[in-house]
Amino acid sequence: MNMNLSSLDRRKFLRGAGVALALPWLESFAPVARAASKPKQRKRLACFYLPDGVPMPLEKDPAFKDWSWFPHGGRKDFKLTKCMETLAPLRDELTVFSGLSNPALRRVHGHANADQFITAADTGADGDYHNSISLDQVFAAHTGEHTRHASLVMSTDGGTGSPRGAHTLSYNAQGRPIPAEHKPKRIFDMLFVKSGPDAARRLALSQSALDDLLEDARSLNRSLSKRDQETLAEYLQSVRDTEVRVAKAKRWLNIPLPKVDTDHLKLDVTPEDPRNFLRTMYELIYLAFKTDTTRVATYQLGRENGVGVSDYLARAVGFKAAHWLTHEVKKPGGYKNFGVYCRFINEELGRFASRLKATPEPGGEGNMLDHTALLFGSASSAFHLSRNYPLLLIGGRKLGFKHGQYLKYGQGNQKHQATAGIATDAGWRGEMQFSELPTAHLYLTMLHKLGVEAKSFAGSTETLSEV
Amino acid sequence: MKRLSITIGIFAGLLSWAETPKANLDSFRKEIGPVLKAACVGCHGPEKQKAKFRVDTLDPDLLKGKDVSWWLEVQGVLTNGEMPPPDSEVKLADADRVKVIDWLAGEIRAASEARRAEGGYSTFRRMTRYEYKYAMQDLLWLPHDFSRDLPPETSSEDGFKNSSDMLQMTAVQFAQYRAQARRALELATVRGDRPAPVYYGLSMRGFTERFEAKYAAAVQRTRQKVLDEGLSVEEVLKAEKEKFSRNPGGSHFKDLVTGQGVRTKWAYHGAKYAWKPTDQRPEVPAVSPDVLVIPANQKFIIDVGDGLPDTGLMRVRIRAARESAEGKHLPTLRLHFGNQGSNDSRVSVEVGGHDLTIDAPPGKPRFYQWDVPLTEIPRNAFRHIQKLGQLPNPAEFIELRNTSSTPVGLVIDYVEVIAPVLEEWPPESHKRIFHQRKDADEPEYAREVLERFMARAWRRPFSEAEVNQKLALYTKLRPQCVDFQEAMVEVLASVLASPKFLYLVRVGAEDAKPEPRVTDLELATRLSFFLWSSTPDDELLQLAQAGKLSDAKVLEQQARRLLADPRAGRFARHYTRQWLGMEQLDFVKIDAKAHGKTDPLLLEAMKQEPVALFGEMLRANRPVTEFLHSDYVLVNDRLARHYGVPEVYGDQFRKVKLPAEIKRGGLLTSAGLLVMNSDGKDSHPLKRGIWLLENLLHDPPPPPPPAVPEIDLADPEILKMTLKQRMEDHRSDPACFSCHSKIDPWGIAFENFDALGQWRDKIGDEPVDAASVLFNKDELRGMTGLKDYLLANRQDQFARAMAHKMAAYALGRPLTFGDHAEVDRITAALRQRGDGLADLVFLIVKSDLFQLK
Repeated sequence: MNMNLSSLDRRKFLRGAGVALALPWLESFAPVARAASKPKQRKRLACFYLPDGVPMPLEKDPAFKDWSWFPHGGRKDFKLTKCMETLAPLRDELTVFSGLSNPALRRVHGHANADQFITAADTGADGDYHNSISLDQVFAAHTGEHTRHASLVMSTDGGTGSPRGAHTLSYNAQGRPIPAEHKPKRIFDMLFVKSGPDAARRLALSQSALDDLLEDARSLNRSLSKRDQETLAEYLQSVRDTEVRVAKAKRWLNIPLPKVDTDHLKLDVTPEDPRNFLRTMYELIYLAFKTDTTRVATYQLGRENGVGVSDYLARAVGFKAAHWLTHEVKKPGGYKNFGVYCRFINEELGRFASRLKATPEPGGEGNMLDHTALLFGSASSAFHLSRNYPLLLIGGRKLGFKHGQYLKYGQGNQKHQATAGIATDAGWRGEMQFSELPTAHLYLTMLHKLGVEAKSFAGSTETLSEV
Repeated sequence: MKRLSITIGIFAGLLSWAETPKANLDSFRKEIGPVLKAACVGCHGPEKQKAKFRVDTLDPDLLKGKDVSWWLEVQGVLTNGEMPPPDSEVKLADADRVKVIDWLAGEIRAASEARRAEGGYSTFRRMTRYEYKYAMQDLLWLPHDFSRDLPPETSSEDGFKNSSDMLQMTAVQFAQYRAQARRALELATVRGDRPAPVYYGLSMRGFTERFEAKYAAAVQRTRQKVLDEGLSVEEVLKAEKEKFSRNPGGSHFKDLVTGQGVRTKWAYHGAKYAWKPTDQRPEVPAVSPDVLVIPANQKFIIDVGDGLPDTGLMRVRIRAARESAEGKHLPTLRLHFGNQGSNDSRVSVEVGGHDLTIDAPPGKPRFYQWDVPLTEIPRNAFRHIQKLGQLPNPAEFIELRNTSSTPVGLVIDYVEVIAPVLEEWPPESHKRIFHQRKDADEPEYAREVLERFMARAWRRPFSEAEVNQKLALYTKLRPQCVDFQEAMVEVLASVLASPKFLYLVRVGAEDAKPEPRVTDLELATRLSFFLWSSTPDDELLQLAQAGKLSDAKVLEQQARRLLADPRAGRFARHYTRQWLGMEQLDFVKIDAKAHGKTDPLLLEAMKQEPVALFGEMLRANRPVTEFLHSDYVLVNDRLARHYGVPEVYGDQFRKVKLPAEIKRGGLLTSAGLLVMNSDGKDSHPLKRGIWLLENLLHDPPPPPPPAVPEIDLADPEILKMTLKQRMEDHRSDPACFSCHSKIDPWGIAFENFDALGQWRDKIGDEPVDAASVLFNKDELRGMTGLKDYLLANRQDQFARAMAHKMAAYALGRPLTFGDHAEVDRITAALRQRGDGLADLVFLIVKSDLFQLK
């Protein structure tokens, strides 16, 4: 490789790139990684976030039958509404959940909650702010070393956003947001065009520094008693582990990038052309998965509360802005309008899932969807209500997920909470009338099926046996 | 866990170990064995094994036998008069008791000394998270906290976080050390020209004029009227029907001449309230009667837009005074910083580090200030992405909060913000690394920079080989880097990620002969990490290098110097918190239904009190027994109110002599510790008892046996009982008795204090029953009884516990039986010298424990 190293501004590089597409050696190390050997089965995870909740007309509302996001009926005999029926071809590949939410935030305004969608942390309502590692990053730490990129982090709005106003679903081991990429061209280039000349330079610098630290450790070791050498052995091991990482990362530099046909891609598309934008973002995940460039992806379809380009997504079905639809549900045809928008969102999600389903698993059994878990949902249900998250899990049969189900968790409101919303706009502040289970139970269950032997996630140690 | 090891019986043992040189088995056979046989074997022998313990099978050879820990138990129960139980038929004459205790003391000392050589735990360890933070700050001359992303430490059995057996290293952590080292060095060093600061100069008159044109016009009219018509303020107000005169309650602008007021306003969107910085420092206006009033518990937001730089120090200066001269309470002001990107996306965090006490009298405001590193606070991620006025909003705000615990207001007439503040260019942090030098060629300069840095970072002189190794790294990296400085930062980062920086304390030549004593340089590191939680300073290193530090006189002098330094506050803070297990206090959730919303200022004060007490006792070398009881407390105004102590003003902690009717003093009645050992709703006698035994007396009760029966709260009979009755009932179960009879009575004595640590005479309608009977039948009558008892009977035990705990912290390792004799010696010397807390520090520092490897 020929590169002009001195002309690069390393700081700019570190700030700008390499963050959305975290290279394995920049990523946090999982303690389990040391022992991991290349598993035969590829396991994948993608998580998607829809902001601002879903249509939740009251039962007496005429729109209830057709435009309620939650299905009608029971665990097996559930019926998808018009809002959801674009996913009907995948009915046997999916599970709908109700009665799951984050216990710490059930009385916090829905717009403040996207940050914790897949971290399940107590991110609070105001003041000081803390988050914790997200579901995808736990899995990426486990599986990231097998691919060129540990994970792919995308959103329509890009960057990190602000606390309680996230533009990313992914948080690292320290609970800090991982900036999301939002430009299809940039994502494509990073995945398939160049691996960044600075990566090679950083690896070389890193290699030299590690050699030097190893020498420090060795010379210190010589002056230690046997007992103290055992203490220092942990340091030596840490350096060696890191060297292995660097060597692996270096190997990727010499492996040619996968060739991808770009004819069908519109890489300069923006959210102002929402349908094509969504399709392109999904297609990039599809290509990254198919080429095994990464096995982990997150995509936040939009930020909460409008005020961003993601609000344009509703233009695909003739509305001005998406967030506004959630406020106008009580106007004539309001639920239907909101439902039509969600139907479109579901349609594109279904399109992506179907494409995975139509593709045979490379070097494996069945199709790609069988080996991929897709989590889709929002951190509020009815108007600003941070309870009863609308959640969908699609795919992953060969990972052990059971599908064709509508699982209603929690107690005291089996029928009502799953299907209907709240009567008053201030309802999000109200006391909890019913019990629900933590989303973390579902996430821990997913990690186990994905092969991560985690004992807990976000402090939760329980799993859902029905999933 | 302690287990009874079946060794050879006492008498058989005597024969087989008769030739052992040091164990005094002769007197055991003649005198001790028969006493134990008469007094103990009835319950702890072949017939009965109460508490699953047999004394007749213990190996009397403490030097070689395996039963040392059991003998320590025997010594404990005999010394504390717990055995034989007073109600048993067997009696132990005082003379016999003394005989056994003396024999045991001698044997334990001999055995401890013999075992010392075998070694237990090493003091070799890496720095803790907080030590890393301070070491980086002191070394690099930066205020930043580089430890925030490091994983938290696990506590040792004694509760210490600096314990060598607990401090691990993983690849994740190693990656953090490397990343933080580079980040720190990039912040410490600078390039190019001095960055031009931005300024905000905001007079409150300007505020009102800009946002409250109507109000400003009204004020102007009124003023004119006052001047033109010579009216008094009262007359004017009357004329205006007090339209603007009402105190709006929240923060408000006020004209001190006319008394007119108007509420402040702020909204995040549209940047309507955002101020623009200037590049020239605005002239500070004369003191103005147009002020901002912030009443207690109110706040004021200053929108600084997106004009603050990314890095550097931000200085916030306010010109402020008290609102009223009445009363002795002074208002306090807290600095927050935050942003609001959109509705419901808002963050606001305390950033000033400390509250300011506003003591300037009304009409005579003066400047107060905070300095805040901009990289250390939550910044708005939309800066540089969004334009001011767009949504999401890229602006940031400064928030001033009146945190006074009493209803006193403060007034501000001018606020100035400067960033970055640079006292000099390049800054001190840069010059400490890259010293000025003329005409040096790069490799030569690199060597100089490295040598200066390595000696300080590694806390010792470096060897030629070590410098050459780092220089080789420099030579290798230099062509790959943009310039000299970048290459040096990479190399210096490897000095800070090196085990020679991260690990304490082994220093010395590789081929040096094994010496029992630590070197002077090791002593310097031990001392500074003990008292400063950080790296030694130049003076300490120079003395060590000159071989003077091991001189006992110099060492004590240095310990005194370190204690007199503000950095010793870290010792008070970290030692006290770990010794008393205060981390638990951070997790207690006070039940709002039972106690209402908890005042955060009160909780803060509770967390501070034990640290303040320790600090004061250390400063004044007060006897450690004052931890058990003192006739004074360390309080600020908020905590004083909680205790009912009158006449305390201000949020600073100070020593206050207690009125006789207030039953406080010492740690036992410290509210935070009482809260910590409650369940948030009610007192928790068990937690309090265990805490007293473990943390203060270093006499931990054995862990609960497996399969302890739970208290059945579904049983209506049990539900009817008071807590004390429930505990008594639980104790009646033989499986629980042996442990609980040693814990519960201690905890019951605290019952006059509720879950918030407040004094109570009744629980519900029942009077508090805080009387209990100890295992040895001594009676404790509530808190006063407990204190009396401890002071009368347990002073030695407490002093020894103090010596033990502090020594374990000072060494950064758990103590073992091999350290027993030395801890005894320190304790004896401490008691002789009058129990002074600072004396304890000096005794530890000069002890063999501290000076041997």
